[in-house]
Amino acid sequence: MGLFVFLPLVLPLTAWPVARLAEHHLHPRTATRLLTAVAAVLAACSTLCLGLLMVVGTAQLPGNPLPDAWSDPEVRAALPHDEVAGKAAIPALLAVTGVCARVLLRHRRIRRRAARALAGLPDAPVAVLPDPAPYAYALPAVRRGSRDRVVVSRGMLALLRPAERRALFAHERAHLTGRHDRLLLVARLAAAANPFLRPLRTAVTYSAERWADEEAAVRVGSRRAVARAIGRAALAPAGAGPATLPAFAAAGPVPRRVAALLAPPPAPRAWPPVFTAVGLALWGAVTGVAVSALASANSAVTLYAVLKAATPL
Amino acid sequence: MKKRDAAGAEAAGSARRRGQGELEAQVLAAVRAAGGPVTAGLVRERLGGGLAYTTVITILTRLHAKGAVARERAGRSFEWTAVADEAGLAALRMRRVLDGEGDREAVLTRFFTTLQASDERLLRDLLARAGEDGEDGEDEGDGADGERHGTGED
Repeated sequence: MGLFVFLPLVLPLTAWPVARLAEHHLHPRTATRLLTAVAAVLAACSTLCLGLLMVVGTAQLPGNPLPDAWSDPEVRAALPHDEVAGKAAIPALLAVTGVCARVLLRHRRIRRRAARALAGLPDAPVAVLPDPAPYAYALPAVRRGSRDRVVVSRGMLALLRPAERRALFAHERAHLTGRHDRLLLVARLAAAANPFLRPLRTAVTYSAERWADEEAAVRVGSRRAVARAIGRAALAPAGAGPATLPAFAAAGPVPRRVAALLAPPPAPRAWPPVFTAVGLALWGAVTGVAVSALASANSAVTLYAVLKAATPL
Repeated sequence: MKKRDAAGAEAAGSARRRGQGELEAQVLAAVRAAGGPVTAGLVRERLGGGLAYTTVITILTRLHAKGAVARERAGRSFEWTAVADEAGLAALRMRRVLDGEGDREAVLTRFFTTLQASDERLLRDLLARAGEDGEDGEDEGDGADGERHGTGED
């Protein structure tokens, strides 16, 4: 499998410029879906290769349960720097598994706790909570049969005028109907599987917000109303809000969202030509993903063949 | 006594599986319906007696911890008064989720994220450009805004 096996581990780096260009030039819906798909494939390939490396690494350990023949020189020759890479892959894969499991558990826990908090309220699509702190969330259905809801605090509604309130509800609704929570979870798992994919997760988060903004603008019929709603909500006195700072606030996504809404609406475009910035980004993404997939497939097949040859029947 | 606690914990455990949230809301509704300070026994009666006494106590204590009911010692037991209604209870519970989870932003997609001081100025400029449609958009005082800029940039 040669050096190919290491390729999918670093290929996520190619997604960085892609993420930036997609954020700026594509329709947010396309950008969100494209970047999520790219992140998912790159993360899967990277994890697969880590798994292959781990098999070789584990076979070298004394007392391992794998067939003895798997530590033969022929097998080890298939992997460059097998001593280091194989052994380093073991803790790496364990770490990836652990972090991904934590992401999943945390996701389920927060969703369940939030759903439980609303138990006992009337079964309406919107839950207005008497809390002076301004917040608004889209809360997808936890179980099949339960309903998804928009949760808004009185504090948030008090900040907004009627048109802006409609914009807020439309925005949160768009998150729910587009099932953005699933895309965001995929992006978060991908970032957990390979830290090089973190910028992609940030880009997906931002694009999903932009997507909901655009849907809300169409629904309300006013881009300015959405822009003002976001602006007013974000400018509310910070002391009243929940205390924790989100990690990606540093990037300043709110002013960018408002600026985008004050600009003309993005055109839903077809597959663009190669020789534009967008075209390059897209084809770059496709190439990176394809190379990553091919490299990991190649490595998997090679290792399978080598191990099969080494195993006495 | 110890045995009763264990039984109560067990009952509360099965109640949790049934839907701890609903049970809390029911107990709160019963306390509210009483209109004034009530004992746990009365709350249990109002609920139809389907719950164990210790379960009612457990849930009342939990509601008290959340700030949805107040209690006052009356002799050897407590008397309970509702402080919040069902929506208020939901708000208190939601607040605990929001305050308790550092990374909740990732799970509950939020309408906006927290602003930095530089973002704030940029945002105000943008909104000014968006126009306020001739309405009273600048009702929050400029003085307070200036102060927030000052503290935010340190």
